[in-house]
Order: sequence, then C-alpha cells, then structure tokens
Amino acid sequence: MPQALRVVYSAFRLAMLHWISDPQWVIPNVIAPFVFTFVALTLFSEASGPFGLYAVLGGGMMGMWGNTLYASGFAIEFEKWQGTLEEVVAAPSNLLHVVAGRSVSNALFGLTNMVAILLIASLVFRVPLGVANPVLFGLAIVLTLLSVSALGLIFASAFVLSRSAQVFTNGLEFPLYVISGSMFPIVLLPFWTHPVAYLLGPTWGIEAIRWAAGEESLALTFWVGIIGQENIFLVFWLDLGMMLLITVVYVALAIYLFKKVEIKSRRDGTLVQA
Amino acid sequence: MTTQPSQASSGKAIVAEHLGKVFKVTKGTLRRRKTQVVAVKDVSFEVDYGELFGLVGPNGAGKTTTIKMLTTMLIPSSGRATVLGFDVEKDVTKVRQNIGIVLGGERGLYTRVNAIDNMRYFADLYGVPTSIRDKRIKELLESMGLWERAHDRVETYSKGMKQRLHLARGLINDPQLVFLDEPTIGLDPEIAKETRNMVRELVEKGKTVLLTTHYMFEADELCKRVGIIRNGEIVALDTPSGLKKYVMDTSVVEIEGFGITDKEVAQFKELSEVLAVSADLSENKQVLKIQTAKGSEIIAEVHTILKNSRIYDLKIKEPTLEDAYLRLVEGSVK
Repeated sequence: MPQALRVVYSAFRLAMLHWISDPQWVIPNVIAPFVFTFVALTLFSEASGPFGLYAVLGGGMMGMWGNTLYASGFAIEFEKWQGTLEEVVAAPSNLLHVVAGRSVSNALFGLTNMVAILLIASLVFRVPLGVANPVLFGLAIVLTLLSVSALGLIFASAFVLSRSAQVFTNGLEFPLYVISGSMFPIVLLPFWTHPVAYLLGPTWGIEAIRWAAGEESLALTFWVGIIGQENIFLVFWLDLGMMLLITVVYVALAIYLFKKVEIKSRRDGTLVQA
Repeated sequence: MTTQPSQASSGKAIVAEHLGKVFKVTKGTLRRRKTQVVAVKDVSFEVDYGELFGLVGPNGAGKTTTIKMLTTMLIPSSGRATVLGFDVEKDVTKVRQNIGIVLGGERGLYTRVNAIDNMRYFADLYGVPTSIRDKRIKELLESMGLWERAHDRVETYSKGMKQRLHLARGLINDPQLVFLDEPTIGLDPEIAKETRNMVRELVEKGKTVLLTTHYMFEADELCKRVGIIRNGEIVALDTPSGLKKYVMDTSVVEIEGFGITDKEVAQFKELSEVLAVSADLSENKQVLKIQTAKGSEIIAEVHTILKNSRIYDLKIKEPTLEDAYLRLVEGSVK
C-alpha cells in the first residue's frame, strides 16, 4: 500500500476506534436524526412528491456534512486535547493524510444518520422509500461522502492556522444543507444561488442520488441539451463525473493550502506552541 | 522508514549554529498592536554521536523552542542547524524519519485505545515496514514491561506505564537520535529512577540522546555534557564536573526552618557576599540555600535576618551542579 494511503487508512482506523469507544455518538447519530426525521416528515406531510426521500437525503447530508466540518476542525483540536499534536506533526507523514483519514471516518460515521433516518422513516413512520436502483444509489452515496470529505479538507487547512476557524465553519454548516438541494429542490431557491450550488461537489452527488432513487434529476434539462434525449441514461454518470471533477479540484486545492499553511504555522508557531 | 544519515557531512549528531526564534504576537482588542517575543536569541552547540547531552534552564529559557526547531516543528528565525547531517529547514522529512521524540507528562497518548493501537498508528505514520511492524511493537512493549497489559486501554495505565509507553512510541522507528523533553516531570521518585535507567540503556544501545530537564541531579547523573540556557542563550556548556568548577570558590549554607518569609529571602539577596539564593518556602519544612564566597562568615547574618523564624538545621555544604546552575541562571557568573 502506498505510504499516503497507509497513513489515511491508519488515521481512519484510529478515528473509528475512538468513535466505537465513546458511546456519546448515539446522541448525534441516532437521537438527532430521529428528531430531524420527525420534523421533516411533519413539514412535508401535506406536500406532494417524494417527501420521504428529502427527509432521508436532508438528514443524511446533515450527518455527513456536519460530521465532516466538525471533523475537519476537530482533527487538529482533538490532537491538541490528547496532547498528541506535537508527536503527529513531528512524524514524517503528511498532516493532510492524517486529517483526510479522520475526515473520511467522520463522514462515514455521519452516514449512519442516513441509515438511521431510513430505518426510522420506514419502520417508525411507515413512509414508503422505494429506491429504483439500490446499487447506483449506494455508489452515489459513497462517492458523495468522499466529495464531502474533500470539501472538509479545504476547511481543515484553516484550522492549522487558527482555532478561531471554528466560528467560520460553524457558519457554513447550515448553508450547505440548503444550497446542495438535499433538504428541498434547488429550483425553489433564488436563481443567483444556482451557480454557487453547482460549484459544490455534493450538489451533483445529491442529483445522482436522486436519479438513482428514481426521481428526476434537476440538471436533467441541462444534460439533455448537451447529450440528447436518446442518451438520457448517461445523466447519472454525468452527475457523478461532475462531482468527481469538482472533488479532484477540492483535493488539489487542499494539497496546495496544506503545504502553504504548514510552512506558515512552522514559521509562526501557530500549530505547536513553544 | 529510516534513511541512512550522512554522518560524514559534519561528524556530529547535532550542530546548532546561532539558532534564534522570534514570535510575532498581537496585543490588544480594539487597538491591535504587533510585538515580537524573542524565545531563542543565540543558541550554538554540538552533540557527538552516541552522546547523552543535557539542556537545562528555567521555564521560558528557550529549551522547548530549541528542541522544536531541531525536530523541525518550528522553522528558525535565524541561524541554522543540522540533525544527523540533515538540515532542519530543508531536509524536513529526512530529519523526521531518523529521530524519535518523547515529550514528558501523562498526555501525548490516545488514552481511549490500547497500547498496541497507539504503537501501530505511529508505526504507520513513520512508515515502519508492515513486515516488521507487529514484531517491533511486541519487542518494544516487552522491553518496557508493558506486553501483559498491551490490550488494555491506556486510560487504565499508571503514570509510570504511560511514561514507558511514551518511550516505546518514541522508539517505534528505531531512531538514531532521541529527543527527551523533561521525561521525568511529574513522576514519583521510583518511576523517575526507572525512567532514568531506561534513558541510560538507550545510550548503551548506541543511541544519541538530547535530554531537557529541570532537575540538576538528573543531568549530573545522566549527561556527559550539559548546556545551561538562560533567556534564549547558552550561558555555559561543559561536563557536569566542569560546570561545578564555576562555583568551586563558594560554599552553600543550607538552612531548614519554619516561618521564613519572602522578605527575609530578599534581604539575603541584597547582601554583597551572597552570590545566589534559592528558597522552597511552600512546605512545612522550609529550605533556604545561600551561596556565598565567605562560608561560615555569613552565619551571624543568617541569625540576624532570621531572628523571627525558627531554624531547625544549618549546614555548610560543598556546591553541587544545582548550585552552579542557580548561579549561572541568576547571572552572577561571567
């Protein structure tokens, strides 16, 4: 296994071990989604359309993004609390790979929100959740998870410089739920928000998830204009392709930012106190 | 993964040349002003391969900042340093691959997971080949007497066990040079002694060690040479016996008593024949050490100043390394 992947996996594994050893995760990952599902289903109950799907996607994204944003900042803070930051920084591995492992583990753990909501919605609230293509649905969710993690990495670089970055990311948590179209369709939002929405990888992921679930992709008109009605089956893959392209840009940006902030923090002493 | 260091390039394990570190600090809320804090002014020293070198000094003297520059965690503001022949600013990865770092205190470990998982994580960060990783973890934990408890969460370990795990973790990449930053701080005497024995064993195995400590007897007992750092500068560098020569012309009057006040300590400091004073007034049995060139001649002054305090015991002693240190950090040795 290449060293970079080995570090990502090891950081992922350690984060998962910590999650398992700490039963507090039940609150954000089971109780909170239960409350969210209850509120979402109550709000959408009078509306027509796939309200169950929105409840699941909204809750899932809330879990993934919330956990990832939290993790991106918390990865550095956690090491400070444990007193291990110096040891981790002084190791020859790249700090970005350590944070990436933590970020993926937290996004994955956030995904348990979606599973919890799926179960709660179908078993407790008896909401029918028919998914047209479960394999593509699962694939789109996993890739969206990676895209969310990559976005989290960009924010993580801010935490290397300053702990007050927490305020910044806290403010970003809710807008992503809204703007990515996971809670309700983007078309309901003002037009000026659309370009911003489509610069976010997770927006395309949500489009792909919705397509796999059997709902109409909101970018359908855009894609059909390019590929023609006869190639409509490609829409799912184009959505995923756009997401992966944007994700690659996120990763490249994160690598660049981490290099810059690591040097700056070693010069200013912001990462490890003397 | 250990890279072969270029010993021939300098012939020294560590070379620090005029190292300096300045931090920029912002003060004030509304009217923000930028100021500079000089943590390390001018530090130069060399450490031989296989040597146990001590760096001692009071809090804030610049010991930790110096270590963090040598371990690449901080970039020096001035000067340069090589570690195992590698430049600390340019060859960051090579330096990191070949050194071990053990910081003092109970923190610095993942307490919610067991010792093996702690070791495995750092083995992965250091790129220890997977073919030897588990074997090395077992060997290190066995050598530290931790293998029996290796599957228990670290939070259930005693202070001594945690310190041993720190040492084991610092050796996971089989480093040639180990930095030990106050490894016995906060440990009870027995565990501290055990830790010192382990440090000694490291040198016997051919490792080079840079140790920082607050405890002079520890530096005296362990180190081949000691550098005393004060206000970001090395003020003396010699063997422990060489450093004691700084105070050969003096003697130490040690007083055990009760009711000694800070005001009385200050009165001693003002006496022209007194070179340095240290006082531990916090315990029931207070201890005052007065370093003087005049020996028994000062006893009359002691009784006068301490007329309102109780004196249980009064001894005139030969100066120790701690006395040399005290005099050096108080700046009365030129």
